[in-house]
Amino acid sequence: MLALAAQLAANGLITGSLYALLGVSWGLIFATTRIFHFAHALTLTVAVYAAVVAVDRWGVGLPAGFVLAAAVGCLFGLATERVVYRPLRRVDATQLNIFLASLGLLIAGESAILIAFGPQARELPGFPISGIALGPVAFTTTEGLWLLASWALLLLLIGWLWWTRYGRAIRAVASNRELAQCVGIDPERISLLVFAVGSALVGVAGTLLALRDTASPTIGVQPVLAAFIAVFLGGIGSVLGAVLGGLILGLAENMGALVLPGHWQGVIAFVVLFLVLIFRPSGLLGVRTR
Amino acid sequence: MDFWLHVLNMIGLFAILGLSLNLLLGYAGLVSMAHAAFFGVGAYATALTARDLGLPFPLTMVAAIVFTTILAGVVTFPALRVRGEYLILLTLAFQMVIYGLMLSWVDLTAGRTGISAIPRPRLLGVTLVTPAQFLPLVLACAAGVFTIAYRIGESPLGRILKAVRDDEAATLAIGKSVLHYKVLVFCVSGGLAAVAAALFAHYQAFINPFSFNLDRSIFLVALVVLGGTANPLGTVVGAIVFVGLPELLRFLQARQDIVDAIRSLVFGLLLVLFMRFRPEGFVPEHARGFGWAGATPAGASGAIPDLTGSSEVAADAPDPALSARNLRKRFGGITAADDLSLALPRGKVTALVGPNGAGKTTVFNLLTGFLIPDGGTVELGGTDVTRRAPWRTVRLGLARSFQDVRLFERMTVLDNVLAAIPDQPGERLGPLFFAPRRAAEAERRNREKALGYLAFVGLADRAGEVASSLAFGEQKLVALARLIATEADVLLLDEPASGVDLHWIRRILDLIRRLVASGKTVCIVEHNLEVVTAVADHAYFMEAGRIIAEGRPDELMADRRLAEIYFGTVRR
Repeated sequence: MLALAAQLAANGLITGSLYALLGVSWGLIFATTRIFHFAHALTLTVAVYAAVVAVDRWGVGLPAGFVLAAAVGCLFGLATERVVYRPLRRVDATQLNIFLASLGLLIAGESAILIAFGPQARELPGFPISGIALGPVAFTTTEGLWLLASWALLLLLIGWLWWTRYGRAIRAVASNRELAQCVGIDPERISLLVFAVGSALVGVAGTLLALRDTASPTIGVQPVLAAFIAVFLGGIGSVLGAVLGGLILGLAENMGALVLPGHWQGVIAFVVLFLVLIFRPSGLLGVRTR
Repeated sequence: MDFWLHVLNMIGLFAILGLSLNLLLGYAGLVSMAHAAFFGVGAYATALTARDLGLPFPLTMVAAIVFTTILAGVVTFPALRVRGEYLILLTLAFQMVIYGLMLSWVDLTAGRTGISAIPRPRLLGVTLVTPAQFLPLVLACAAGVFTIAYRIGESPLGRILKAVRDDEAATLAIGKSVLHYKVLVFCVSGGLAAVAAALFAHYQAFINPFSFNLDRSIFLVALVVLGGTANPLGTVVGAIVFVGLPELLRFLQARQDIVDAIRSLVFGLLLVLFMRFRPEGFVPEHARGFGWAGATPAGASGAIPDLTGSSEVAADAPDPALSARNLRKRFGGITAADDLSLALPRGKVTALVGPNGAGKTTVFNLLTGFLIPDGGTVELGGTDVTRRAPWRTVRLGLARSFQDVRLFERMTVLDNVLAAIPDQPGERLGPLFFAPRRAAEAERRNREKALGYLAFVGLADRAGEVASSLAFGEQKLVALARLIATEADVLLLDEPASGVDLHWIRRILDLIRRLVASGKTVCIVEHNLEVVTAVADHAYFMEAGRIIAEGRPDELMADRRLAEIYFGTVRR
């Protein structure tokens, strides 16, 4: 029983770390631009397919595949902001309309990928998968990579946000758009910046996911739903909150197996979200705003 | 042939789903990503009562409607306080939980396998099996739901839903309980979705969770938005275009999954393009379908209403009309109101003046229940209204306007004013459907009244225009007409003359004088000292949450110390 709990906790931390990365990648965009960027799921899918095509078809090495996924994700995110969202802001579209446009983009994009690559799942080869036993817990090398890569990227990002000029500008816009504008920060440029960074991160996170779960045209939606939950659980605008939210979500999903049968796992995440929105809408580390 | 009849049936079902969602999304502005979940709950309720309890057809639909309505009512409670992205996420979470339950609660729902062998309905001695046999039933139900949706949408009730959509605070300020209408519209929307659900379950004779997933919810939201929100015709057009037309793709003779993908691709792109180039959808909100008399009144016959209705009782009405004692309110470390006491003498204009940030608007919020004071009491004509909800305070006769006007921007000028008239039978479902003549009669009278209020402020000729298209000064006058329409006799005006030029100021001052002459009690917050001197009988001078002086306005103006505080010339 105790061994099982330890194993589940380890699994929770592993998926939780990836959720944290996903959450931060989406939360950065949402907190700064207030765009409910559902099409983040499409960015993930496009980046993963770029990596799969490069590695599987062109025989590029896996590390290069990751770099490509980050680059493609970044460019796709920038294009989305420029081609879809900015024109909508120009005509003063409501938040609902921007959200719907985002959904439309996701639906159209997934279909385009399905038409181009077919509905079947595609493997991302090239990573040596074996088991690692660490005391009472066991996990695969893929999961080890998740853990390492997620935390490396998270720490890099946090450092960048805290100690660089652009990072501070992003945090300023996220906490108060108007005030940031008053001190000479151009929110349009910051929007581009967060789309670039967030989209690159989700490209990498998606590729990490595809290492274990294979790629399909609809691969993006579930991880991005997890990202929403991590962000709202932790509190909008708080990077540490999103990290914490991701970890809690991962742990809750996995530890839930101790008391619930396995097929309930999918429900747990949304019950958690439901409860947070009801009882603590500002999130665990969020600032309570009116 | 059967295939095209099937397509017609599906259009009918989706029209019902869309119409029910439009009430929620289009009229009340509440985005629900959980409509497929309600659809699913209704379908399972139908399937289980039909198969396991052996209920016959119309009863299964009734059971589904009752169950879904109750569930919608319960779910609403967490959704009442939230808007925008929080509501999207909350309903999305609900959708996923219900969908997860359908998959996981195997004992009840049989999980992925779904429920099969749902009994076919029997009506008038015929067992309905083929699409052709179902078609009359589906069309009849669709027509019924269309009538209900249209009736609600174009009624005083629909007007309030739109008011809730455009501005919740302003809806409270015209004396309508936002909470009540939100619960109501969630329940009605859920109940109507169950009509489609029951038909669907019997029609397919088989259901599984995959018909009720997030994609379906997204599709429904998109259908309503692309068709045209707050217009039932738009939803019908949307159902025909997005459920019917894609079937033509079948002639492509391609693989089914490719056909589906092409359909989604076009659909998704349309969604993006519509949001950019035609956000109002195919059939916009104010387009009228049946050549009904448009919103523009013919001839604006409205006589200026008898504003003196309340002044008959003025002789023995308690004076002061409103009194507040020892009001206190702190926000964190800031004291916004510190032991504030004031009284508004009946039939007079009282002014609250003071520098920016003195807490004048906070006083209005405390008096009208928008803020709950930490201590102190507010009495309105002898009744304690201290902790009442804002809308109740309005019904008791104390109403306020907003500094930033806050009209219901997407509604017509006339509807803005009409919405504020109290006690309309057409705002309740009962009279709306069971005493339509009474509702129509009241509506006709109220229109006259509202036109009268508009004539009073001099805007009767603009009644049919959308509120946001008016100039700022005109909007202020509409807001004033709306305030008068609440029939409250104590009116609190927050900066009635700010941001408008001299021409408008004169007009507004004149209106205030006429209001007082007709027996209203008025309190204004105003920065323009000339306005205050011109119209107010008595003034309170506020600074930092306290009243530091009171008297006739010209006396206060003459006080050097107050002038220094006001203009900030004092050196400390």
